[in-house]
Amino acid sequence: MAETGVVARSPIAPAAPEIILAGWAVSARRSGAALTVTDCTPMTKVAIKAAPVGATAERLEVPFGRVSRQTWTLGDRDCSVMVVGSGPGEWLVLGPPGSQVSLIHQLSTLAGDGDLVAVVDLSHGRALVRLTGSWAAEVLAKETAMDLGDSVCPDGAAFRSAVAGLAADVIRDDRDGTRSYLVGCERSSGQYLFDSLLESGAEFGIEVDGFVPPDI
Amino acid sequence: MKRQTRRLDRQPGEVIDRGSPLEFGWNGRSYPAYAGDTIASALAACGERVFSRSFKYHRPRGLLTASYTDPGCIVQVGDEPNVRGAHRLAEPGMDVRSQDTWPSLVFDVKAANELVGRFLPAGFYYKTFIRPRPLWPTYERVLRRFSHGGVVSPDPLSPELSSYDKRQVHPDVLVAGGGPAGMTSAVAAARAGARVMLVEEEHSLGGHLRWGDKADLAALHDLRSLLAASGVEVLTNSVVFGRYDHNHVAIVQRGLTHVYERLVKARAKTLVVAPGLIERPYVFAGNDVPGVMLSTAVRRLINLYAVKPGDRAVVLTANPQGDAAVVDLERAGVEVAHVVDARGGDDLVRVLGRGGVKGVELVGGHRIECDLVVTAVGWTAPLTLLTMAGTVAAYDSRAARYFPGTATLPDDALPAGGVVGDGTLDELVAHADAVGREAARRAGSMSRREPAAEIPALPVDAHPELFHGPTHGIVDFSEDVSSRDLLTAVEEGYSSAELAKRYTTATMGPTQGKLESVNVVAIIAEATGRTISQTGTTTWRPPYAPVTLGALAGRHREPVRYSPMHPWHERHGAAPLVAGAWIRPDHYGDPAGEVLAVRKRVGIIDVTPIGKLDLRGPDVPKLLNLLYVNRWSKLEVGRVRYGVMCAEDGVVLDDGVTGRLGDQHYLMSTTSSGAASVWEWVESWLQTEHPGWQVHVTPVTTSYASINVAGPRSRELLGRVVAEIDLTPQAFPYMHVRTGRVAGVDGCVLWRIGFTGELSFELHVPASYGLHVWETLLDSGNDLGVRAFGIEAQRILRLEKGHLIVGQDTDGLTQAFSAGLDGLIRLDKGDFVGRSELVWQAEAAAESRLVGLHPNDASVVPEEGSQLIEAGVICGRVTSSRWSPTLHRSICLAQVATEFAEPGTLVTVRLPDGRSVPATVTEHLASVDPEGARLRG
Repeated sequence: MAETGVVARSPIAPAAPEIILAGWAVSARRSGAALTVTDCTPMTKVAIKAAPVGATAERLEVPFGRVSRQTWTLGDRDCSVMVVGSGPGEWLVLGPPGSQVSLIHQLSTLAGDGDLVAVVDLSHGRALVRLTGSWAAEVLAKETAMDLGDSVCPDGAAFRSAVAGLAADVIRDDRDGTRSYLVGCERSSGQYLFDSLLESGAEFGIEVDGFVPPDI
Repeated sequence: MKRQTRRLDRQPGEVIDRGSPLEFGWNGRSYPAYAGDTIASALAACGERVFSRSFKYHRPRGLLTASYTDPGCIVQVGDEPNVRGAHRLAEPGMDVRSQDTWPSLVFDVKAANELVGRFLPAGFYYKTFIRPRPLWPTYERVLRRFSHGGVVSPDPLSPELSSYDKRQVHPDVLVAGGGPAGMTSAVAAARAGARVMLVEEEHSLGGHLRWGDKADLAALHDLRSLLAASGVEVLTNSVVFGRYDHNHVAIVQRGLTHVYERLVKARAKTLVVAPGLIERPYVFAGNDVPGVMLSTAVRRLINLYAVKPGDRAVVLTANPQGDAAVVDLERAGVEVAHVVDARGGDDLVRVLGRGGVKGVELVGGHRIECDLVVTAVGWTAPLTLLTMAGTVAAYDSRAARYFPGTATLPDDALPAGGVVGDGTLDELVAHADAVGREAARRAGSMSRREPAAEIPALPVDAHPELFHGPTHGIVDFSEDVSSRDLLTAVEEGYSSAELAKRYTTATMGPTQGKLESVNVVAIIAEATGRTISQTGTTTWRPPYAPVTLGALAGRHREPVRYSPMHPWHERHGAAPLVAGAWIRPDHYGDPAGEVLAVRKRVGIIDVTPIGKLDLRGPDVPKLLNLLYVNRWSKLEVGRVRYGVMCAEDGVVLDDGVTGRLGDQHYLMSTTSSGAASVWEWVESWLQTEHPGWQVHVTPVTTSYASINVAGPRSRELLGRVVAEIDLTPQAFPYMHVRTGRVAGVDGCVLWRIGFTGELSFELHVPASYGLHVWETLLDSGNDLGVRAFGIEAQRILRLEKGHLIVGQDTDGLTQAFSAGLDGLIRLDKGDFVGRSELVWQAEAAAESRLVGLHPNDASVVPEEGSQLIEAGVICGRVTSSRWSPTLHRSICLAQVATEFAEPGTLVTVRLPDGRSVPATVTEHLASVDPEGARLRG
């Protein structure tokens, strides 16, 4: 017999205990450590490609290298989403788990006349990890050569660079005044990325914290 | 256990913690120490004077500098060789041993080298141990016994010694050197708003203030308080070992808890170099006898470690620091028998004694008994980092040292402190404060409207030029190079500093010239009748101090990629195949059985690594027509087409199928190994050659878990798990694509394509559900005999079917016609990448062809790469070769010269074991179902 039902699985093995939340197998572990790492792969991730300057760019209102928290009406509910200017003419929208259909529908209405827009669901194609704590920058500094200082990478900044030897998107998204970064890479390297961050964070007492939706 | 017979009472500036005693081992005996002691200071406190044997002559050596650069105390600590014993802190239970001494440090047989020293001059290896040549292996074995240095265990090192990592930092201002100038600069830069990092090689900050008088200690206390409040990040026990282009600065950080060493790569906007000055030894006979020390060494031992360095001393002094050493010695209860004041023309001739100082002989022949000789004859400015930044060192004979040429320094590097000049502490602080502010301004930390800080010049004190006495002595203590060796080098024609260095190895040891380079240049200058300026220096390159390979390598980092079905493969005993970064299932124990399962029933294989690109836009057909050799304008929605890409030279680049999912929506597949390079290729053409084309490309390789379901019962199996898709041959013909729900998962893409030669379907499932779909297929097909098959079985199946693999059956020179793709290439469709070369190839006829090959002896399976030879000439090679479980014989594909490509042609295969076997070119590439009836069913 198959050992799984129709449950989505992240590339990162959940730390025990495992539960099913929003259709995903996630870790139910809770940590109060000063530095934590969380697998946020269940979040909906939709990529948009459009002209860097045009109707779509105007409607998204997020320039390259910045992040914006917005409230969108998805279906019959208001949801928090995060719009990331991940590249020139490229955006990534992060939403609650399972909101792909409504997000893609919403995004597909953005295109103006003559504006070619590609909306591609990457929810299953990208691993996403959140690193939170006052030592988060020190941990990341072992994995990336980017300048993580406040003047270059303040809260709300986004960049794409090599992290742990992988092409990765990094979003600084502080939580309640505590430094926090979302790091995303292509799915198949997700476990490797997670393990790298754990290894780098060991000297700061990093612990795994479980995913709590919607985590936006 | 030994007793601390030479430990003094508490000293005002001591760094040892008398409340934390500990024990460690030295050459098998137990020694006491305090926390804060170095290995050397702890041993010296117990009266030890000999810590090592010299490189070539195995002369006994003691402390010289009692600091990071001390060449006389290099020891083995556990598994760790070449430890700087005068810098490494003693730890409880440490096992410290002397290096390269046999049978002991006290009695070392290799000291016999000195008896034959006349046969071992500088460069002796260029003249000796050369003939007779048959004896080279013997010479090598003998010389290896005399090679210097510690021992690295052949067994894996302990975790403590084998863990390294790296860290990237971006300070506005990096200060190299934590003496008073460095500390002041750091504080000033931080106050001006800069992010500052301060790096110091010793365990604590303060430089010479640490062993100074009361006023120095008070000033140090104040500086430390200012620094603590400044927000400067301080790294002690760390060395800035290189300054590279654009202030890319490399630092090795030690003394960490989680890793043995950390390489810190700093991109500093401004670099402040404040290394202080390093005291220079004096060259004279016996200057390496244990008990001969520099003035800073005795001051460190007394003031930092509360160790009495001797009982009766003779001091050679030429400066106020030497005079201060006399005061410290007397305060420590050392009888100062005589002060030789070089400023008045006095000098030392030689030291008496071998295993330890017994006395000295002065000019005029007068001898004085003593057990300690202290020299204070001058300073060397360590300009290495500044020369790496571009400065040219200039010698000042009045001050008897080198200074940095600031005119040649880039804007982002500033010298501070002793390397620039002398002066009182107040003058030094004022100077360094201005340097720090200016460093911050140049880093952009202050408003650009701020005027440049005026940096007060420091006075430069006169100092007599004292490099050597009237007798020969050791110049390079690490390499056992004497002044006589340098003169020999000059006599033999190696009269430049660079040549003499290479001929004698002077300055090439662990101290890297810091103690000896000026003496070397001075001696060569004198021997050649030139000035020091005329002689010039050697080139100071990174690293400033030796760096472990482990620090440079860092953590073992090898990205690895897994498919969503990997846990199932592992649980079911898949033999892993490393394919680039991917770990794939090669087989599950029986590749032949897996092949037969596919041929007779149904098999499933994980093909997730296949490259996939999502293409959207009205101009996608233009892109496909440009990049593929065949036509794409009329591909209908729901159809799939196979395509081959060539580079501009007509060489096959990649292949795959592309399906049209919607009006302006396509899904392109590539080879697994070509996924990234094809994406780059596509983007390159779009962005550079056709930026106006309306196409968006998104890589979705890992968005899908890809599963190939193959075999005569594949349709039957799929029918049990697929919803909303009519799988009948009429509704879902070969080379078509459908989307729908599989095993309860929406958004799946199904291609009806084949690589194995059997009826097959390729499923692309949202990756997070890949494992579920895989297991559902296996559970649903139990009665059908479904079986997982791996890469090896797939290779056999496709070879039986005659499908080429790009990169296996083609290489970097295989143009499309040579790959047997004649039927695919459309030279009449308009321009495409590689067309002009392919037109030429078509006109000239391909020189080689891809053919099927069957060895006449069906039991012989030629190795891939075996050459095909006719009339003594290589005419081709075997590109793919396997035993076919379906046909019970060997089958091959081969590239062969066109004249041998006709079906039925007999060729000769040269096997690697030297045998030659005949083989026959087959009619088709495919050995199984060449007409393709099975896969079109």
